[in-house]
Amino acid sequence: MKRDKHTKKPVRSIWYKLDLSAIVYPTLQRRDFSSVYRLSVLLKEPVKPDILQKAVDMTLPRFPTYKSAIRKGLFWRYLEPNDRPGPFVQRDINNPCMPMPFKENNRYLLRIYYYDCRISLEAHHSLGDGTGGMYVLQTITAEYLKLLGSSISCGGFVLDIDEKPDPEELEDAYMRYSNARVRPPRPSEKTYRVRGTKEPFYTLNIINGILSASEVKKAAKKYQVTITEYLNAVLLYALLQKQESENPWKLLPVRIAMPVNLRRFFPSKTLRNFITMIYPSVDPRLGEYSFEEIVLHVHNYMQYYINEKFLRGDITTNASTQRNPFIRVVPLFLKDFVVRLFYTRVQDKNSSAGLTNMGVLRVPEDMMPYLERFDICMGQPFSRRTNCAIISFQDTLTIGFASSIKEADVERYFFRKLIQDGIHVKIESNREISQK
Amino acid sequence: MSYCVHCGVELDPSLKRCPLCNTPVLDPNNIPYFEATSPYPATKGKVEPARRKDAAIFISVLLSTISITCGILNWLVFTGTPWSLLVIGFCLVIWVICIPYIFYRKLSPYLAVFMDGLAVSFYLYLISRLTGSADWLFYLGLPIAALFTFLLEIFILSVLKINHSAFSVTLYIFSLIPLFCIGIELLCRNFLGSPLRITWSAIVLTVCVIFIIAIVTILLLPRVREEARRRLHF
Repeated sequence: MKRDKHTKKPVRSIWYKLDLSAIVYPTLQRRDFSSVYRLSVLLKEPVKPDILQKAVDMTLPRFPTYKSAIRKGLFWRYLEPNDRPGPFVQRDINNPCMPMPFKENNRYLLRIYYYDCRISLEAHHSLGDGTGGMYVLQTITAEYLKLLGSSISCGGFVLDIDEKPDPEELEDAYMRYSNARVRPPRPSEKTYRVRGTKEPFYTLNIINGILSASEVKKAAKKYQVTITEYLNAVLLYALLQKQESENPWKLLPVRIAMPVNLRRFFPSKTLRNFITMIYPSVDPRLGEYSFEEIVLHVHNYMQYYINEKFLRGDITTNASTQRNPFIRVVPLFLKDFVVRLFYTRVQDKNSSAGLTNMGVLRVPEDMMPYLERFDICMGQPFSRRTNCAIISFQDTLTIGFASSIKEADVERYFFRKLIQDGIHVKIESNREISQK
Repeated sequence: MSYCVHCGVELDPSLKRCPLCNTPVLDPNNIPYFEATSPYPATKGKVEPARRKDAAIFISVLLSTISITCGILNWLVFTGTPWSLLVIGFCLVIWVICIPYIFYRKLSPYLAVFMDGLAVSFYLYLISRLTGSADWLFYLGLPIAALFTFLLEIFILSVLKINHSAFSVTLYIFSLIPLFCIGIELLCRNFLGSPLRITWSAIVLTVCVIFIIAIVTILLLPRVREEARRRLHF
């Protein structure tokens, strides 16, 4: 056992239990799939890799759950501090969010890339959600800018690297708030699934739409809804059109899996996962929906479900499985088998696409002049479908679609609808390069 | 600045086609549009392949060490019977079974099962050499190993080529179990010199037929199938 240098007393080795969401992600790990997401920041000057590496080395110890490796126990996986060298910054690649085997990259579960003016952070979802990742990315960026001579203050998503991590940053916040008296059942219904031609291994098609946040807000206001509700409705509309063009005789409900940031409702500083899924949907078997009807339907759904009471019930349902003593004593390999089976047979079929909105990013005032915009990529979808992620910074709203299929029909219907609503869209993509 | 004529979106100067509808960007004045750098790099990343080599070396070394040390022990110390052949044969069977998982993952499943059958047959042959009796090997051991291998090949063929839904796989299992039981009973009776008829395997056959009819009914009626899926999902 390790001993303290001064007191000579045995030091308890540190390790972290995986949070409630993080338990599932390593189970789904395949040779060609990992639950990895990507957050990028575009600076106004090209990135200097050696300085960036210094910034990463200085910043990561501030985030102990991100400077860790995943290990297997007999019953559960866990995170343990990783003191190996790295992670090393590397030049960006064309196929982001590629699989992340746990034993590669010196066992680090994050990658940092640079390309021209862009710094990208890719993290395995078992470490934390997008909010946690954004803290890491913005703190690295702030340190990078400080090393270049700028003066950046802490605040928003930028943490002070000289401070000790607050214990609340490392907590599994689900366990604190999963205390509802009932456990509402999970929705489970077969939904429409996008059909498409699978791309070869190591291909992830990205289509980024760059929009003006004020224009989107204006369009959403026309329907008297929020930006998230409006974009959800546009995606549902696109999926309905895609289903109609594929198989108009056998229609199925169209449903979006949307993560909700629970920090908005349950105060917590956690940098780990603290999200739950909601499923806005439209059932075309009930009749033809106009876009206005879809918007209203999504608005009502969100108003009804996104509140502290319903979300508490939802996380209680999720936590009940982990708390069950009979499930706890089942060996890990059996849990893996059952969870994987449940996910592929039920959970994955429960939604037609994924959509996440990180919202408007808070950035320290003195850091703003150095930043152009932020990009987000929800990562490779588990099955053949498309994932959509939204992020806003100042007046720039970026919508990133990621898919592993050749067809871009959903994306096309989605952006064409935005154009019809009078929003100017600029498109960037890695698709053409992939087709070479 | 170029726009897609179909989608109406503005395209990044580096794009030669609209990524949404594949429409090419054409400039009537032939201005060289595509000088701009793409916001995405051209290089593709690859994950290092999983290190199965270490596991392969470890298992090979472990099994060969066990075989060699037992062989030496048999040769120099316990010299009565060639008992080490049993250990060596067992190690060989384990090694052959490990081939598709550790050594060569691209191995066809049909070939892998065939090789497993051969390895088990060889092990049975070693046992017969050691016990000095060959009757049970030719009339019981080898035919049962061959029957099991054959049925397993049929199972893999059905799963890979016909359907691999949970209900279909259960159907294949319930169809193959009675065939295996009937085969075992007939081979045992032939070996013991009893009249060739089925008794206990007929019970297995009846039970399996009931299950087969139930599963086929579920598979043929979509409403029942959906209901069963909903009720049995876990």
